[in-house]
Amino acid sequence: MTATPPETTEQTGHAVRAGRLTLCLAGMPNAGKTTLMNALTGGHFHTANYPGVTVSLLRGMSRKQWGDPLEIVDLPGVHSTVDPSPEEELACRVIESRDASVQADVFVVVVDATQLERHLKFAGFVARQGRPVVLAITMGDLLARMDQSLDAPRLAGALGIPAVAVDARTGQGVQELMDRVRSAAEGKPASGRLARLGDDPVEAYRRVREILDSSGAISHGELRVERDSVTARLDRVALHRQLGFPLFVVALVVLFASIFWLAAPLMDAVDRLFGAAGGLVTGWFPSSLIARFVAEGLIGGVGAVVVFFPQIIILFFLMTLLEDSGYLARGATLVDRPLSWLGLHGRSFVPMLSGFACAIPAVFAARSIPTRKERWLTIWIIPLMSCSARLPVYALLLAALLPGQALLTGLSLASIYMASLLIGSLTAGIMGRFLLPSAAPSLLAMELPIYRVPRWKIILRMTWARSSTYLRKAGGPIVVIAIILWLLSNFGLGSRQPQLRTAESPPLIVETDMDGSLAAHLGQVIEPVLAPMGVDWRVGVGLISAFAAREVFVSAMAIVFHIDAGDEEAQASGLLDQMRTATFSGTDRPVFTTSSMIGLIVFFFFSLQCISTVAVVLRETHSWRFAGTQLAFYTGIGYLAAVATVQGLRALGVG
Amino acid sequence: MTTTGLKLSAAAVSRWYVIDGLEGPQAECSRLIDLGFTPGEPVAVVRTTPLGDPLVVTVRGTQLALRRREASWIRVR
Repeated sequence: MTATPPETTEQTGHAVRAGRLTLCLAGMPNAGKTTLMNALTGGHFHTANYPGVTVSLLRGMSRKQWGDPLEIVDLPGVHSTVDPSPEEELACRVIESRDASVQADVFVVVVDATQLERHLKFAGFVARQGRPVVLAITMGDLLARMDQSLDAPRLAGALGIPAVAVDARTGQGVQELMDRVRSAAEGKPASGRLARLGDDPVEAYRRVREILDSSGAISHGELRVERDSVTARLDRVALHRQLGFPLFVVALVVLFASIFWLAAPLMDAVDRLFGAAGGLVTGWFPSSLIARFVAEGLIGGVGAVVVFFPQIIILFFLMTLLEDSGYLARGATLVDRPLSWLGLHGRSFVPMLSGFACAIPAVFAARSIPTRKERWLTIWIIPLMSCSARLPVYALLLAALLPGQALLTGLSLASIYMASLLIGSLTAGIMGRFLLPSAAPSLLAMELPIYRVPRWKIILRMTWARSSTYLRKAGGPIVVIAIILWLLSNFGLGSRQPQLRTAESPPLIVETDMDGSLAAHLGQVIEPVLAPMGVDWRVGVGLISAFAAREVFVSAMAIVFHIDAGDEEAQASGLLDQMRTATFSGTDRPVFTTSSMIGLIVFFFFSLQCISTVAVVLRETHSWRFAGTQLAFYTGIGYLAAVATVQGLRALGVG
Repeated sequence: MTTTGLKLSAAAVSRWYVIDGLEGPQAECSRLIDLGFTPGEPVAVVRTTPLGDPLVVTVRGTQLALRRREASWIRVR
């Protein structure tokens, strides 16, 4: 960009070219940007994905009641322009006009009246970029509670920039703000004392204070350690020496239980719905391959995306609720010490916990971690958290391993979960210390916002905006991969083709005998690799199919072991019988021995057998290297650990 | 900048101090200054957390959770 401010004509020219003026909301976090966004757009905003980074912006159109509609973009909050996080970096790029996709005609900087010095210093950064700027001053009610008052017109005069006091919840001041925005957009770029604060923070703070003192726009308040009494009282409990952690644990249990249990019936319903839709299609054309492709490949693929949606909505709703109320920052403060020791961030707790339900929303949740290194490290260990898709696999293998021993099965399952948390922490500790360069500075310095009564409308809006991002960003790759896996299991090479099996009684269940399929072929090709794990090609087919989703292992095994599909329970018990008698072909050596089944559990424990997770990690990190290394690392470790387990157990005389 | 003052991590809770200067890693300290921890500014530790780390610190009308390590770079008197 040129150093000289753009001419007025250029401003107007830009506005005409765009057809509509673009208004960017900028400010520090918790200044009230989103509330203002909500008021301006009447709640009609959506997230716009941003190319190149993992940040999404809120976009919307201003309501007619505020005059001719403007396009409104809510930029991520900026704590500091020094050493910015990915979110802050994006906001700075737009503010400094270094960005092609968002070009602001006018900025509204949202300024918290109770923290004028910090917020005006940031407003100064926006004001010196050669665009028109209007200040929206919020938190007037809070200021009043601190027995202080602010004279907005006087402040505007002293700063040389229009400033309007707004209360976005009641709409007070919003009309005046928009009038000012319109006249500012047609006028000159921001100038005056605020635009001349300069780069040096110490000097900028000194000048802001000088302006404030000489203007007399704000009455002097006494210096107080606590802010408002509500927040002080709540923090005394939330961060209490004895009560803090029990309360946090309750919050975690509620969060985890909701993701896990509340979502389960919804996921079942989605599963059934897509199953029924597929059944309908194959029912109409029972022997048509195209119908089966549509039913199993397409509908099944879309179903594979939608099935995660309930979990994602619930997770984002609860996360947004925690964030909006102010508790998320307290929870992160409580656990920052152990997590930072592992090289993680206090905020890593939400993604790690969500990982026990499903890695996909967990990877998205890692966005709340402001520092890059900690965010990547968190994403790195998420696949180790024992997700709910592993449960059916563990259940099957443990049932085969410990028939009729419910207590032992339960204990084994519990230790698997504990081990996944421990090994995840260990991995983070080792990676963070030795493998990730510590060059990237990391600082907690996390603002603890005042507590707020949850703003339900905004929370619901944000939940939807964030959740629908998942459908748009991760949906495509997941459908494509599901279709590829379908093709692999339904087509063979040359004359070797899978056979169709049709059940005689309705509902017509058409299934492929996978023996001649590419997947089976692949299974046979990799059999030498599987031999040290003590399993044969049929398990290999199960393992390959499980890349669609881990629980597919069970149904793929049922197909490959010729279990006629009934309901899930019949499938599992039939499969257990088959597993007991299965032998390596041409021998009487059993496939499923104690060692090989423990080996499989170990494999599933480590292996990143979920292409959807890989797709989401790729989208979030924008790094093929990261996603590819992660896939190879965990699958490789899983294989090596399984081989070591099987061979070790055999050496010890366990069959 | 050499400062001899008390480290903020060793400061008494609920008592006002004045920032003398910052002494620590360059990038991190620049951000702390930008966040408002400038020399001459009043600062106080609001409370400690159950594990004793991080600390809740107030400066320029806001409250921030600072790790002890970060607070130790801020010298006060």
